Amino acid sequence: MKEQIKSWLEQGTVDVFLGYREVDHHPIPWCFTQEAIEEVDDLVVSPARYSLEKIATHMAAEDPDIRIGMLARDCNNRALNVLYVWNQLRPEQVVTVEANCCPSPLKEHADCSYLEPGTVGAYKKAVGIDNHLRLEAVEAYGPEEGRNRWMYEFQKCIKCYGCRNICPVCFCRECSLDHDDLVGTGPLLPDIPIFHLVRAVHMAGRCIDCGLCEDACPMDIPLRLLYQKVNRIAMDLFDYRTGTSGDQPPFSILGDRVTLEPKPIQPVTGAEA
Amino acid sequence: MTNSIAEIEDAGCVFIIGSNTTACHPLIARRVIRAKEKGAKLIVADPRNIQLSRFADVAVNHRLGSDVALLNGMMHIIIKKGWHAEDYIASRTEGYDALEEMVSRFTPEKVQAITGVDPGDLEEMTRLYATNPPGSLLYAMGITQHTTGVDNVKSCCNLAMLCGYVGVRGGGVNPLRGQNNVQGACDMGGLPNVVTGYQPVADEAVREKFSKAWGAELPAATGLTITDMIPAMLEGKLKGLYVIGENPKLSDPDWNHFNHALKRLDFLVVQELFLSETAQVADVVLAGASVAEKDGTFTNTERRCMRINKAIDPIGNSLADWEIICRLSTAMGYEMRYDNPEEIFDEMAGLTKSYAGMSYARIGLDGLQWPCPDKDHPGTPYLHKDQFTRGKGMFFALDYKDPAELPDEEYPYFLTTGRMFAHFHTGTMTRISPHLDVEQKTGYVDIHPEDAAKMEVRDGDMVVLSSRRGDIEAPVRLTRSVAPGTIFLPIHFGEVPTNVLTNAEAFDPLAKIPEFKVSAVKVHKLVL
Amino acid sequence: MECKLVPSVCSYCGTGCGVLFEVINNKIVGTLPMKTHPVNEGKLCIKGWNLHEHVNSILRLKQPLVKTFGRFMKTDWDEAIQLTADRFKEIIAKHGPDSIGVLVSAKITNEENYLAQKLARAVIGTNNVDHCARL
Ligand code: SF4
Ligand code: SF4
Ligand code: SF4
Repeated sequence: MKEQIKSWLEQGTVDVFLGYREVDHHPIPWCFTQEAIEEVDDLVVSPARYSLEKIATHMAAEDPDIRIGMLARDCNNRALNVLYVWNQLRPEQVVTVEANCCPSPLKEHADCSYLEPGTVGAYKKAVGIDNHLRLEAVEAYGPEEGRNRWMYEFQKCIKCYGCRNICPVCFCRECSLDHDDLVGTGPLLPDIPIFHLVRAVHMAGRCIDCGLCEDACPMDIPLRLLYQKVNRIAMDLFDYRTGTSGDQPPFSILGDRVTLEPKPIQPVTGAEA
Repeated sequence: MTNSIAEIEDAGCVFIIGSNTTACHPLIARRVIRAKEKGAKLIVADPRNIQLSRFADVAVNHRLGSDVALLNGMMHIIIKKGWHAEDYIASRTEGYDALEEMVSRFTPEKVQAITGVDPGDLEEMTRLYATNPPGSLLYAMGITQHTTGVDNVKSCCNLAMLCGYVGVRGGGVNPLRGQNNVQGACDMGGLPNVVTGYQPVADEAVREKFSKAWGAELPAATGLTITDMIPAMLEGKLKGLYVIGENPKLSDPDWNHFNHALKRLDFLVVQELFLSETAQVADVVLAGASVAEKDGTFTNTERRCMRINKAIDPIGNSLADWEIICRLSTAMGYEMRYDNPEEIFDEMAGLTKSYAGMSYARIGLDGLQWPCPDKDHPGTPYLHKDQFTRGKGMFFALDYKDPAELPDEEYPYFLTTGRMFAHFHTGTMTRISPHLDVEQKTGYVDIHPEDAAKMEVRDGDMVVLSSRRGDIEAPVRLTRSVAPGTIFLPIHFGEVPTNVLTNAEAFDPLAKIPEFKVSAVKVHKLVL
Repeated sequence: MECKLVPSVCSYCGTGCGVLFEVINNKIVGTLPMKTHPVNEGKLCIKGWNLHEHVNSILRLKQPLVKTFGRFMKTDWDEAIQLTADRFKEIIAKHGPDSIGVLVSAKITNEENYLAQKLARAVIGTNNVDHCARL
């Protein structure tokens, strides 16, 4: 694999290669280049997972013609497909090296669990929602119980927006979560459950179930389950499976094909944006 | 903190007093929730209803400034029920008898009269804390910013020692530091009475050691605290002030007072990232570099010394703060030359026992928790393991004292101050950050709907808040997070300068921490 | 194209979460949580996620300023430093070292705090050193 990457860099197949490098025993996303090609020897396939494709979109926004090589697990590939569909990256500018992610061989789509099943305490099991449950189990709660359990989880939210910020397929420049009319700003708690439901609705047809949001949630809210649910609906209604290919027109989710030209979105960089 | 952040998850009971953890230390609140979800008990004592109160087994609103009474009341019950750790007390502590005598006076009825906490709740929270070892006690500015701040802290320690929770994994007395490197600033000798590692300047041997290392005679007399500097400026004794990275104009109690004092200075230098309120009145402003533009170390609240790395060049013509200080020193005739912060760190570590075993290479990305006295020492996740640093743990028998100012007929409301979740300190950094500014653009005052009805104000109305020191205007935000009779102001907003109202004269006699958390105010609707 | 992720520590509270600054062409475009950091394990609060915004702010001071006749003038480092040094020396000569105070900071690094108190004690000659943590 390292030889492959080196030859890509040497031959100019790619301008940069996104992978990981170990720095003081920590895997850190690393952008390998031809100038420092010897660094490729230190490339690691880390169990820690960052959204390399999101970094790639930021680079592409700076230099639209850049060619990017990337270490890709199944979830990275699904995210790339969504980004192609939404015109945030062009398929011809990305090449990937496949990496296996889970300790177990990759399972079927939407079932890749990178989260180590940590122990969930009895208390959370009794009043909240175990992060490792399957959607069916959550759907089996009665309406009252379901509401109570979800509200328990939402009440913990500290409004870090990490679920949005880390998401590889969240790239809207104007985010509904920032709109005071939709979701109140100001105090903690955020407006619940609106905050979480607004995000969930927006994930229909987008979320590729990579689990990064849940992993980034400081309060261990089982966000994946929420988005799995909306995606299940999208699938049942429109037969739309997100991330499975790079050429589904985004608006086919509405039933008919619509021809709107989605534009790449520039990253927001601090106050100057 | 005596213990580590991650250890909170393994506590049997977490007791939070005077800390709005989800807003001010969100990633510590995460550990609290995880502890709770793993089966720990959670107790919250705060004059306000905070987010964590919703998850607590017992949550009480004790009256502002009544912490000592509440804690003494808990100890009263513990001793009466025999829940205290007798062996631990006998072998590891001293001063127990005086404590026992003192807390024996704090019957639940008396405590209720002072704190307003129901005796049943008091007993239940005491039982949860004392019978679910190890108990981790967390506190923040809600404990320290009082005239009785030191007593409050000591009372927290009394309680934890009484149950034998100090020096055990998952337990401890854990102050949550507000600013990122407060711990480091103190460790580095940013205090008027000690040099690095809390070595007292009054000690001749210490002075000799540093005089030799630095090649300059060290002054022996203890210096002025910031609280003492204000009167010294007013009296014309303090002529020049060098302020680095701080915005005391907004963070000082009694703004008018401080404003006045700054004007008396002959020379004020401010080193800052932004033209803050303080920088605006300076004679010289030195443009420092941000955290992303330099190398160095920070020490967090769990004593973990961690490295920051230069990500980009200082913007414009700004300069890393260490370079500015070196240049200034050299210009004043004392040559300071270092190639990089690592050299400075090594010099410091050579003079400081608790950091002696640290080096940039060893700190790595995980950091090291002090004390780390030698090169092979792994660092210290929790303090006082088999022995207290001072030998025996000392109990302090402390009586309850009223805050300096209590509401009366003229000023009928309790005012308390603090932070909100999206902003930091005086807001110099967060308010110019678009994603943080959008959460809260300006100051406000939290008022309970019942009080608002009495004042005849509605959400969003402008009100005038007056204390004995001055008055300010702020828009009302109705919320049940404050108890009736108490109002809350966030500290981040220069246009709503909280500290016009607070009391500069009232501070803890030892720690010199002003009583930000309690003052008495009156409120009336602004009629235009 | 230069792109790197630089490990650092959030400076918005005493928790000290590990972050990665995402730097593209010498500009910070984002802050990410460090997944394997012992303090925050790949999570941040709202302040941490937006740590880079204050760095990039257009309001940042870009050079030293000196006030003349009540107005700030931009200046260079040599002048600003010399002026400060001269004024401090003047005050020390007239009123003694204890007429100067130094406020160090909970926002700057350990190394800088160390130097600042060294400046106060060894160069100015006073123990009037404090920081704003009391406030
Ligand atoms: S699992 Fe979360 S982070 Fe991943 S695509 Fe779905 S919403 Fe985004
Ligand atoms: S990551 Fe979790 S805590 Fe943060 S905003 Fe999303 S749901 Fe809330
Ligand atoms: S990310 Fe939040 S909790 Fe962590 S250090 Fe920064 S401000 Fe504190």
